[in-house]
Amino acid sequence: MAEHHWGWLVAIYLFLGGMGAGSFLMAAAVELTGMRYRQKYCPTALVGAGVSGPLILIGTVLLIFDLGAGLREPWRILLMFTNLQSVMTWGIWILSLFLPIAFIYGILEVMHVYPQILAWARKRLAFLPETLPYRRIKRVLAIVGGVLAIGTAIYTGVLLSVIQAVPLWNTPVLPALFLVSAVSTGMGLTFDLAATLAVPEVHRHYRHMPLIHMLFIGLEIGLLALLLISALMQGGVAAESAKLILLGKSSVVFWVLVMGFGMFYPLMVHVYAFARKSHGYLSGVLSGAGIVIAGLFVRYLIVAAAIPVAL
Amino acid sequence: MKLARPERELEPSPPASLDAQANGISRRALLKIGAGGILLVGVAGKWLPFAQALEEVKADYAMIIDLNKCTGCGACEQACGRRNNLAEGKSFIRRLRKEEQEQEDCWCLPVQCQHCQDAPCARVCPASATYRHPSGVVLVNEKACVGCKYCAVACPYDARTYDEHTGVVNKCWLCLDWVLGGGQPACAQACVTGARIFGRRDDPEIAELLSSGRAQALHPEFGTRPAVVSYIFRGT
Repeated sequence: MAEHHWGWLVAIYLFLGGMGAGSFLMAAAVELTGMRYRQKYCPTALVGAGVSGPLILIGTVLLIFDLGAGLREPWRILLMFTNLQSVMTWGIWILSLFLPIAFIYGILEVMHVYPQILAWARKRLAFLPETLPYRRIKRVLAIVGGVLAIGTAIYTGVLLSVIQAVPLWNTPVLPALFLVSAVSTGMGLTFDLAATLAVPEVHRHYRHMPLIHMLFIGLEIGLLALLLISALMQGGVAAESAKLILLGKSSVVFWVLVMGFGMFYPLMVHVYAFARKSHGYLSGVLSGAGIVIAGLFVRYLIVAAAIPVAL
Repeated sequence: MKLARPERELEPSPPASLDAQANGISRRALLKIGAGGILLVGVAGKWLPFAQALEEVKADYAMIIDLNKCTGCGACEQACGRRNNLAEGKSFIRRLRKEEQEQEDCWCLPVQCQHCQDAPCARVCPASATYRHPSGVVLVNEKACVGCKYCAVACPYDARTYDEHTGVVNKCWLCLDWVLGGGQPACAQACVTGARIFGRRDDPEIAELLSSGRAQALHPEFGTRPAVVSYIFRGT
């Protein structure tokens, strides 16, 4: 696929931003619903809170490599806070509020699970308290961070959807798709991958999870279909963009990796898990991996299929 | 405490408006005049300039490219690259090859920054590095550009070029240093066939050409309202 102005780095950034936000939402959800406390060890909360900040930080650092001034004169990045008309500026503001909260939340969650960290720190810094009101602090951070996480996931879509010069992107379906995909990849990472790996009988603790996950994957397939079909119906360069994804050189990536391994296979696993109240170890891990890979490639295909309006 | 109440009611009410009474205008009349005035200003301010603004282009200069005269030789493209010290083969002007099937000939459409009044590149630039100069020319502050390429993605004319050496997303600046000094941009100077007509909008020759309606914006349906560059399309 011929990249126009943006390519892999931007796609990876959009993906990591979405997955980081989605993981945080999962950790916040199990915290606020109290599901985290129904089991001795909750890998969803630990992984969700732990990776969210680092994932977004990695994405942001990658983006700095993509900036012309990123390595030459990095202080210019501060100027990116200035134009409040630009969606990119909104994103910078949202991220700079969300990143510290995600990191603090992650550290708190790790300290909550492993109290020996605080005990170890107290040996060196005597002024530290013996324990912290983890649940109270985390509750506030989960709500504030949750709102910012939704903002992060939506902004990655709005960033593209406001561009009138690229008809494929210029639709409100795109932010919706990116938000659903962010939640879905977050679930894939924290439930399917992390929880299955750490606690194979995880589905016992989250009885409604397969159903919720099923709905999100179904919604994602629906939104992706809506995006591509409406682009095809629209004709012109929008249809050309959609054809590039559906029939072009990388169509094998779309049909096999995204639709097959990343959407229909996990959907089947979760339908099965919903009916049987459990799913296998391997199928859980594979469906998680599929969802995460699909999240990356969906974004890359959409970024790379940008065909500007014809002159 | 209860006694204090009736006392207060007996107090004479303060005069409605001392100034208005002194001038012989009641407060009611003043309000009427005010409301009428606001309505008038509102209607006039909304509709009259609105209709004009659709026509009026806020720019000092005009570059009219006569596609009947353009041979597609590429002299403007090369002159632009040299003028701006761009890498070999790079330019702020692109030549698009157009083919018309029924006529079986091909013609050339030179495209550069159209200096839009509603420039999407300026709107999306997070660092506010792209802006409109008072003359109507859209400029890039190369010291502020972070090189995020959002402007390049947003420009429907695809008129922005990323320079790997400087890390800046640049574009045509109408050779504003020469133009402000009374000269012509490099592309207009280089044009062999005189297809590029450049001058101030108030110059009689340019004004006549613009008011004749022959010079049209390229793809006005993009809604960006190009202010400087316009075209005389083939056969018109």
